[in-house]
Amino acid sequence: MLQTRPGHKAIRLAPDGSAFIEGYRCGACGAAFPEPTMACRACADRAVPVAYRASETGKLYSWSVVHRSYPGIAVPFVSAIVDLDDGLTLKGTLRDVAVADLNAGMPVRLEFDNAGGATDKDGAGYVGFHFTAAGDAA
Amino acid sequence: MSAAYIAGADMIAFGRYPDRTYYELGAEAALLALDDAGLSIKQVGAVYASSCFNAQSMLGQKVLKEIGQTGVPCINVSNACASGATAVREATMAVRSGMVDVALAVGSEKNPRGMLGGAPAFGPPVEGLFGSESMPAVFAEAGMVHANAYGTTLEQFAQVAVKNHHHATMNPKAAYRKETPLAEVLASEMIAWPLTKLMCSANVDGAAAVIIVSEKKAREMGMARMVRIRGSVLTSDPYEPRNPEMFDASSVTRLAAAQAYEMAGLGPEDLDLVELHDCFATAELLHYENLSLCGEGEAGRLIDSGATALGGRIPVNVSGGLLSKGHPIGATGVANVVEIVEHLRGEAGARQVAGAKIGLAHVLGFGAAAGVHILEKA
Repeated sequence: MLQTRPGHKAIRLAPDGSAFIEGYRCGACGAAFPEPTMACRACADRAVPVAYRASETGKLYSWSVVHRSYPGIAVPFVSAIVDLDDGLTLKGTLRDVAVADLNAGMPVRLEFDNAGGATDKDGAGYVGFHFTAAGDAA
Repeated sequence: MSAAYIAGADMIAFGRYPDRTYYELGAEAALLALDDAGLSIKQVGAVYASSCFNAQSMLGQKVLKEIGQTGVPCINVSNACASGATAVREATMAVRSGMVDVALAVGSEKNPRGMLGGAPAFGPPVEGLFGSESMPAVFAEAGMVHANAYGTTLEQFAQVAVKNHHHATMNPKAAYRKETPLAEVLASEMIAWPLTKLMCSANVDGAAAVIIVSEKKAREMGMARMVRIRGSVLTSDPYEPRNPEMFDASSVTRLAAAQAYEMAGLGPEDLDLVELHDCFATAELLHYENLSLCGEGEAGRLIDSGATALGGRIPVNVSGGLLSKGHPIGATGVANVVEIVEHLRGEAGARQVAGAKIGLAHVLGFGAAAGVHILEKA
C-alpha cells in the first residue's frame, strides 16, 4: 500500500499514522515558526528552535473570499489567516462558514483531510488540513 | 559623502509591447534619460539594471549592447516589486561613495501574462487547498485587517481606484487613461473580496531610467533642472509574528519610511506629493499610515476627504499609480522616481502638483523589500 504523505510543510505523521501540526519555538524569546530554521528568525539566538506539537484550535485573524484564482481552481473559497492558540499562525482554507458570518477573532478548529484527493506521481495520497468554525461561532 | 542628484529622468509609455524585447524597452528608456540629462552613455561610470524576471539574463549588458558597450560595470538586480528602487538606491550609493560621477539606473520588464502569485514549492498545489497564494488574495487579507480594526469600507478602498484612474487620464504615458466612476469599480469582476478587478494593478510592460550624478558633476552641468536625492533607503522585512504565513506589507515600509525621513532630515508634513505602491487599492490605504501621511486608522477618512487627490493637501499617485499607469514589475520603482522628478521640475503637464518642492517615492516587494526615496528640487 502506498504511504500517505504530508501535503503541507507544517504537517507531520505520527507512527500510528495520525496527523499533527508541528511548530518550532525559540527557547530564548518564545517566538513560534511553522518551519524549522537554523537560528531564531525573531531574536537571532543561535539555539535551534525546538519542535512542538501545535494546538489545533485558534482564532480567525483575517481572510479574503477568493472569487477568481488560477485556471482550474474551484471558486469561491475563503482564504483564512488563523492564529493558533499557542502562537503559531497558519494560512488555510476556511470551510462551511457563510461569508456573512465571518468575523475577526471567531474561534476556528483545524481539521485534517485528504488534501482534496491530490496524489503524487506514484498515486500516493496526501494529508492536508482546512479550518472550520468552532465553539459558539456557528 | 557627496550629495547625489538626478540629472536625467524619463520612461517609455507603459502598455503592451508584443513585438519588442525587454532589453530594447530598457535601452529606449536609458536613451530617453540620457537625452533628458544631455549626457552620453560614454559618460556613465556604472549601470544598475533592474528586472524582477530577467535580471539574471544580464539585462544591463544587453542594454549596453543596444546603446554602446563602454565596458563599465553592470549590476543586475532583482528584488521583486522593489527591484527598480533597489537599482536607484545602489546607483545613488555608487555616486555618493565617490566611486563614479555618473550612474545609470534602468528598470525594464515584460510581465508574464495572467494573475501573478506564488508557485507551489511542496506537495500538492496549494491554491484553494491551503487558502490562496494569489497576489489579490494576499493584499485583500492585508486590507481586511484594516477593515476589521477601523471599519474601513469597500467604498473607501474602491475610491483609491476611482482617484488613480482619474489621475491617469492626465498622464500620456499611463497604460490606461479612462475614468472609472465608483459604481463601475464596484461592479467590475470581484477577484478577492474586497478587491474587484479595477482595484488590481495593471499588468503591463514598460521601462524607465534615471541618471544620477555627483554634486561636482551637477554643478558642472548647471543646477537648473537638478533634483537632489535627500533620502534613499532599502529595507528587508523585520520579524513580525505572522509574517510570512501572512504577508506583512506594513512593517517593512514603516522601517524604510522612518529611515528615509531621518536621512532626509524631513518629515511627512514636508512632502508636496507621494508616489506609493498601490499594487492593489487596499495597499494604498495601508501605506497612507505606513508613510505617516495620516494617523493610525485614519486612512479611510483621508481618501474620503480628497486630500490625496490632485489639488488636495498631499496628492498621492498623480501618475495614475500601479492601478492605471501600470505595473511592469522591475520598472515600477524607477518610474515612480521619474514621476516625482517631473513634478519637482514643474514639467508634469496637466497633472502638475502646483509648486511641488519635495516628493516621496515608495515601492514594496513581496518577500519582502521596501524602497523609499525622498527627492527635493535643487
